[in-house]
Amino acid sequence: MKSYRLVLNLTVATLIGGLVAVGHAEDGVTKDEIRIGSFGPLAGPVYMYGKLAMNGLEALFDKVNQEGGIHGRKLKLVREDDACKPEGGIAAVKKLIYDDKVFAINGGGCSNSTLAARPEIVKAGIPFVVNSAVADGISSPPAPNIFTTQLTATIESRAQLRYALEQKAKKVAIVAQHDAWGRSRYEPMMTALKEQSIRPVSDEEMTIDQNDGTAQALKLMQTGADAVLLVVYPKPAAVLIRDSLKLGYKPLWIGQTAIQDLPQLQEQVGIPGALEKFVSIATIPAHPDDPEMAEWRERIKKLFPNDALSVFNLMGIGSGMVVVEALKRAGPDLTREKFLTAMGSIKNFKTGMYPGPITCKPPVSNQCNQSVGWIKFGDGKPKSAGVTTLD
Amino acid sequence: MSHRAFLVVLFAALALLPIVANQYTLFVGNLMMLYIILALGLNLLVGFAGQLAFANAAMYGIGAYGAALLQVRLGLSYWIAAPCGALLAMAIGTLLAFPALRLSGIYLALATLAFAQFTQWVLLHWTTVTFGAGGFPVPQPDFSSFGVSPDRGIYYVSWVVTIVLLAFAWRVVRSRIGRAFVAMRDREMAAQALGVDLLRYKAMAFALSGFYAGTAGALYPAVLGYVSPEGFDLFQMILHKAMIVVGGMGSIVGSVIGASLLVYLLEVLRQFKATQEIVFGALLLAFVLFQPRGLVEFLKRSVPGWAEPLHYASDSESPADIAVADEVVAGSRGGATR
Amino acid sequence: MLVLSYLLVTGITTGALYALVALGIVVVYKATEVVNLAHGELFMMGGFLAYTLHVMVKLPYVPSLLLAVAGSFAIGILTDRVAFRPLMKEGLVSVLLATIGISFILKGTARVLWGGKGDYLAFPPLVSPEPIRIGNVMIMSQQLVVLLAALAVMLVFAAFFKTTRAGKFMQATASNPRAAALVGIHVSRVYMYTFGVGAAVAGASAVLMAPLTLLYPDIGFALFIKGFAAAVLGGLTSVPGAIIGGLLVGILEQLAAGFIGTTMQDVSAFIIIMFALIVLPTGILGVRGIRKI
Repeated sequence: MKSYRLVLNLTVATLIGGLVAVGHAEDGVTKDEIRIGSFGPLAGPVYMYGKLAMNGLEALFDKVNQEGGIHGRKLKLVREDDACKPEGGIAAVKKLIYDDKVFAINGGGCSNSTLAARPEIVKAGIPFVVNSAVADGISSPPAPNIFTTQLTATIESRAQLRYALEQKAKKVAIVAQHDAWGRSRYEPMMTALKEQSIRPVSDEEMTIDQNDGTAQALKLMQTGADAVLLVVYPKPAAVLIRDSLKLGYKPLWIGQTAIQDLPQLQEQVGIPGALEKFVSIATIPAHPDDPEMAEWRERIKKLFPNDALSVFNLMGIGSGMVVVEALKRAGPDLTREKFLTAMGSIKNFKTGMYPGPITCKPPVSNQCNQSVGWIKFGDGKPKSAGVTTLD
Repeated sequence: MSHRAFLVVLFAALALLPIVANQYTLFVGNLMMLYIILALGLNLLVGFAGQLAFANAAMYGIGAYGAALLQVRLGLSYWIAAPCGALLAMAIGTLLAFPALRLSGIYLALATLAFAQFTQWVLLHWTTVTFGAGGFPVPQPDFSSFGVSPDRGIYYVSWVVTIVLLAFAWRVVRSRIGRAFVAMRDREMAAQALGVDLLRYKAMAFALSGFYAGTAGALYPAVLGYVSPEGFDLFQMILHKAMIVVGGMGSIVGSVIGASLLVYLLEVLRQFKATQEIVFGALLLAFVLFQPRGLVEFLKRSVPGWAEPLHYASDSESPADIAVADEVVAGSRGGATR
Repeated sequence: MLVLSYLLVTGITTGALYALVALGIVVVYKATEVVNLAHGELFMMGGFLAYTLHVMVKLPYVPSLLLAVAGSFAIGILTDRVAFRPLMKEGLVSVLLATIGISFILKGTARVLWGGKGDYLAFPPLVSPEPIRIGNVMIMSQQLVVLLAALAVMLVFAAFFKTTRAGKFMQATASNPRAAALVGIHVSRVYMYTFGVGAAVAGASAVLMAPLTLLYPDIGFALFIKGFAAAVLGGLTSVPGAIIGGLLVGILEQLAAGFIGTTMQDVSAFIIIMFALIVLPTGILGVRGIRKI
């Protein structure tokens, strides 16, 4: 009886103890290694922004390590899943900081989980460079240890509206998802409209799994909208465009960075010529099938045989390049402060991925990417449709 | 060792955790306690009273939003907002007892599921009140007058609340109410014939589970500092069900075991990164296949002295057995039963 | 007036999607009194199998469809063996959780195998991607295919249950397994084939629906919820009820979106069902269950 008690006590203690962090690692830097953490959804409907972006980051680290690392240290990626939920974001960030003890974090796949995790990150002072999440609240008001290389929701929404107005649209409509992702863009969009004293003629909702857009298309047609601002994911967008074509309704469709793979969108709609009056914002204007991307295609194939290079990988790579540059500039005697100073020193840095140069302007703005690259689809290929730089 | 000793050891370990753990582990330990409360409440409703309801996660959300919104919108102190949140969840949960009178089995499951989806929709779309999708931050209660950080403060509060609710559930199950629940679960019509007021006891079961889920919900904003609708979706509901099935339906200790184990497993699952879903599904399947009556059953048999008297595993509800019962009744009454 | 026509027609075409899913659910329920919560994922796997064969390996359409259906049938039988038979006697909750476990395994596997290829995969339609004119409305030709398929499946199953021996075996097994066993019906085999057939229906539906809904690992869940709701609305034991339930859910959604607001589209089905079940506790065409003592 007593021995059972003892055994059970020990088992429970070990069980709990298993959760307790053991280890006295420094803040993620040893003489041969730099540990960079990343968090985002690794499973679930929006895993592209987490898992695929991290795959890209790993491909970049692989390349850097092959070329000798940074001041002799190899880069190691530590992934944590946040399930795209606030609870998950807080847990993932706590784990990265206190358990995995990483040097810095380059990630943030979902806006709502990253927003929820922000206080924790600020409190810990760990450097954080956002690569996918767009919510403004993450990087604004500026915190000394948070930078973003992703376009923010405000930048994108304003750019969408600006494009519509530049194309002389008279009646602007919005179709948006009202989930966490959609809201982070919808609110700045409404603010931008108000500032311009424009009332949208139609404000419709779609859900991420919606199979038919006829009701929405009918509403849009009835109001005669000539430009539609799309704040939706590829599936609702494809469904909406398809059903609008069915009704013979052909407005100017203006998308954003969630809809970047235009050849795939054309396939998803199915009807030839569907994207004639369609533009969208590309975080990365290059398409995975472009000749310049051959090296990355090979690297992704090598590391992840089931995958094919996608824009989400490229998003991870682009942001990672900025982080790698800052790590280089921080020098061999690497500390978090030096890294943050190095991030602040990045001006007009060309990645070959983002449409414009990356410029960080602490303490006024740590939103380092202000260039919106437009893409459209013609002759069966995506094409650039100009770059707008806001400030 | 007896199940009592197990509980004592577990809660002693939890009490000591803040001393040895880092912030991440403390967070997980706190979540574990919230899930113990959730599992206890759900087990009372599903395991003991036999009501196949799928609204627990929605009640959790209502408790969390109640507590959070009263603080953020009306400026109330956490210590007033939290009980209000719990009571709100209890009130709404009790309303579900009414459809439960008419529906059973899979139909009740769907009705409560529909209710849960509706609740999600309200949380997402009633933006003037709930802030909509993406959620909002909530200030954590201040414990500086006690000299501890907010994280530790709420941890100890959760600890006390969990123990109190555990003891209360224990009492309920041993009382006449508990016996009425089990009677309702096993043979509803016979229970009614013996004088068990179905409406009263179903309402009580829903109220209790609503209160428990609501209490866990009231603690949630204090633990996370953030509330959003995504935390209370169908996956949460599946998690709660998994906890009571893995631990043991109709068992108080089973609820504790199931909750603790599943929270621990979820954090361990992080290691699996991309294959998480497969591993989770496989583990769930394995548990259900090999211990369909829950781990408590296994412990009862293999740990001498365990002696959990309160594990009322329901007897077989298989179509075969029920068919036989129908035959008997129909034969003796000479007609179809209605 | 045209708006109303379009809303109704769209309601019917999306309703047909839900109806096909509901049919698979009802067929399994009729024989086993269990709802297979992995049904959506069986659907999804069928779609991905067809995608692999037709788009990746470039097999022609019909063989891909048949092989995908066969593959789904096999997974369905596996589900019966692994989740249903061992747990039948433990009660509904255990079976439900086991099917949930299977759904996660299938979804995770799909994500690993196909997830890296793109976010939403397109599948070529049976006839043509262009819209066609019916009366004074335009619909996608594939939507017509799906609607006809739903009706065909319904007729086949209704006839099957009413006239064939196998169909009668299944109903007998559901209503009284002991008695069925006593008269020589091989009960466990009936269960097994039922799961297989339900899964096969799901697989076939997926291939037909994939051009409209696109293929991605999470497609199963979203459709399952609506299909389940439609099945319950129509009455879980009724094959025609599945179609009626599906069409009703589809139409109500569109009417709500069109006349109240598009924010109501997704939730209107659930509101209707909550209230409908209070008035009709076993759905529209469901059989009034025998109160079990």
